[in-house]
Amino acid sequence: MRMKGFAKHYYLMLIPGFLWLFVFSIVPMFGIIISFQYFNPGKGILGSDWAGLEHFKYMFLLKDTQEVFSNTLVIASMKIVANLIAPLLFALMLNELRLMILRRWIQTIVYLPHFLSWVILGGIVLDLFSYNGPVNQLTALFGFQPKLFFADAQLFPFLVVGSDVWKEFGFGTIIYLAALTGINPAMYEAANIDGAGRWRSLWHITLPGIRTTAVLLTVLSLGNVLNAGFDQIFNLYNPLVYSTGDIIDTWVYRTGLLNLQYELATAVGLLKSVVGFLLISVSYYLAYRFVNYRIF
Amino acid sequence: MKNKSKPLALLLACFLVLGACSNTTNNTPAAPEKSAESSEPADPFGRYEEPVQISISIEIDPTDNELPPGDTPLDNQYTRQIKEALNVDVDHQFAATGQNLRQRISLAIASNDLPDAMVVNAVELRQLVEADQIADLTEVYERYASPDIKSIIENTNGAALDAVTFDGKIMALPGVQANADGIHLLWIRQDWLDKLNLEPPTTMAELEDVARAFVEDDPDGNGKRDTIGITGPESGGKLYANFLESKNNLYGFDPIFSAHDAFPGYWLEGEDGSPVYGSILPETREALANLRDLYSKGLIDPEMGVRNKADEPIIAGKSGMFFAPWWMAYGPLTNAVKNDPEANWQAYALPLNQNGEFRPHAATPSTEFVVVRKNYEHPEVPMKLLNNLFKNEQENTFDPSKGGPGYYPLRVVYAPSDEIEFTVKALRDVLAGNKTAEDFANDKAYKLLPSDIASIKTIKKEPYDSMDISTWNPEANWGAWTRAYSIMVGGRPLVDTEFEAVSSLLYEQTPLMESRWVNLRKLEDETFLRIIMGAAPLETFDTFVENWKRQGGDQITQEVKDALAQ
Repeated sequence: MRMKGFAKHYYLMLIPGFLWLFVFSIVPMFGIIISFQYFNPGKGILGSDWAGLEHFKYMFLLKDTQEVFSNTLVIASMKIVANLIAPLLFALMLNELRLMILRRWIQTIVYLPHFLSWVILGGIVLDLFSYNGPVNQLTALFGFQPKLFFADAQLFPFLVVGSDVWKEFGFGTIIYLAALTGINPAMYEAANIDGAGRWRSLWHITLPGIRTTAVLLTVLSLGNVLNAGFDQIFNLYNPLVYSTGDIIDTWVYRTGLLNLQYELATAVGLLKSVVGFLLISVSYYLAYRFVNYRIF
Repeated sequence: MKNKSKPLALLLACFLVLGACSNTTNNTPAAPEKSAESSEPADPFGRYEEPVQISISIEIDPTDNELPPGDTPLDNQYTRQIKEALNVDVDHQFAATGQNLRQRISLAIASNDLPDAMVVNAVELRQLVEADQIADLTEVYERYASPDIKSIIENTNGAALDAVTFDGKIMALPGVQANADGIHLLWIRQDWLDKLNLEPPTTMAELEDVARAFVEDDPDGNGKRDTIGITGPESGGKLYANFLESKNNLYGFDPIFSAHDAFPGYWLEGEDGSPVYGSILPETREALANLRDLYSKGLIDPEMGVRNKADEPIIAGKSGMFFAPWWMAYGPLTNAVKNDPEANWQAYALPLNQNGEFRPHAATPSTEFVVVRKNYEHPEVPMKLLNNLFKNEQENTFDPSKGGPGYYPLRVVYAPSDEIEFTVKALRDVLAGNKTAEDFANDKAYKLLPSDIASIKTIKKEPYDSMDISTWNPEANWGAWTRAYSIMVGGRPLVDTEFEAVSSLLYEQTPLMESRWVNLRKLEDETFLRIIMGAAPLETFDTFVENWKRQGGDQITQEVKDALAQ
């Protein structure tokens, strides 16, 4: 009986989340219809004329579509890998640090950028890498010519991934540190008595101990493989780096809202959703297979 | 810092892309038809007995500090005068800076949540007409437009009304701007030229020499190599004005293109007499090669296209040249001179092309339009606001130093096409003592001329034939100086130079452009920017031409040909 009352609270706590999901994800789904119409804002979704698959045909003709899909995949995959490795390494290093005060301080400091929005961080990053910015001043000391980093299409994806890691690795670190504290200290003591050094206990105790967390985080992040980070890229990019930096979300934003091509933008958005849905299904299946994580 | 992302706008954006617009079907029944008297002229300046509300969109620069303490964008000399004269209460449905405003307007159109009236551009106007979101203003224009405004609109050879007439109905109130807004000039630091013993550059070769001297010979005398030869467009800026946005392109390279007889972004007459798009012609390639060369030599701002505000180096005294129309004291120059009273910016109709001619491109008179939301109860209010603005500008009611005219709700410019040239000549005559204010008593259309004449001698010192900054006294009246310096310096080349401007065959969109033009424009902008900045080889131009034709350019050219044949 007590359990039942307890569970009720859990369900109540779900309500805000569900409301959010309903208002911002379920309701807007009806807008998908636009991609099959000649949408006329004056007539609305219910009154516009049907276009069939015309916008989808045009979408596949357009070179932009392939470009933004591949950019999105490249940037998002790089982010997934980098955001897995960087916090893991950092958490392991921090875990070896025995001075608790220092550990807490470092943990808090690296965690700070996570709380700032990309509007602010974007400005900071652009200033750091600007023509007369600190990075160029530093390289000038070694005799390099100043370089306009954010105008270089080859570099742009790396700058995006790098700045994203800088912003988020502190947060990831906390999850791993939590997993690390879950490991029974008695195991380290036993290994110590058996004569295992730091590397050995790292390899045989720490890593297996957080394996589940690592795999789970990776698999779940697969669902984000088509979300390369709208607000970050929107605040950092410019037309010179469209060829490597323009992602589905920024393209849809410009096409649909700035250039008033609602139907085309919705069609691309729909394609993204379909591909994203497949990827999420696969990732949940994998999560179930490998770490026995079940949502339903 | 980029300020183009507003959290709210983004939230709306996500919401809308996925499809909002559920509130679209509650169109209230049309207002009852007015009675038979409705064809007679009404009083263009009539005051309402009951207060009338109007919500609008407005462009506001949050960093602007011109408003006196206590005034706000919603409560200032303009809104108080409007309340007094017309009994109209103005409310802002949304306010934003330039780039952001376009996004907010797009959002308003997409979500069918329009303010009662707003100022839009030609593309947005067309979209609004097709979506049937705005009111037919034929009757409003006929009955309420003041005689002065009517005569200015009708003196454009029909261009202004053509731009807003759809199926014989006037769907918007067109602004009419002076021709001068479309002529892009070379603005140059005369004091730097003098210091380095240089002459204003007449050819592209001389322009390159001057730019090199500005970069290498330390014109600002601080011992550091930190000056820019030629300022380029800012992030999101245009390399050149185009047929849809044919005027007021600040910091683009328009005169450099026309020095090569290239008119990218314009529809021109080809050799066989049929229309051809200027961006795909060999002259454009040549101009791009030239710009690419200048950029690689470091003579153009290395941060062009990425910099967030191109006017910063100009204001800070770090740039020697830029290209823009006549009104630059309203632009960066006021702050540049406040920052350095010696900064002697002068304007020239240069550089010249191979035949020694200055051949700028010409603009269409109307690029701004006031539209009224369908079913707004008082569709004549915007027209009355414009009548009232024009009348009070004639009467010099407002003091621009207490908040610029941009704070006037729904402001669009009404200017006779030769306003700038006429004013230059008039002021010269007044300064020379040949004429006085009474001689211009009948030129009422030149609404600011009386105040220009009244104030010129307080801010212009002798000698009157020199326009150097040292012969001005801006401290006496910054508001008047801004206008007079723009006119006398920025207008001088327009009066003193013989030139023939090149027009686009067409200044509006054709149907196919609605779906294809955006992508073609993107292709063009991106390719040209990359070529100039060395991110792509010059040969990319040839692939661009092929792609442009294949991705709809050829069909659009045919459409343009058909449209012109009609």
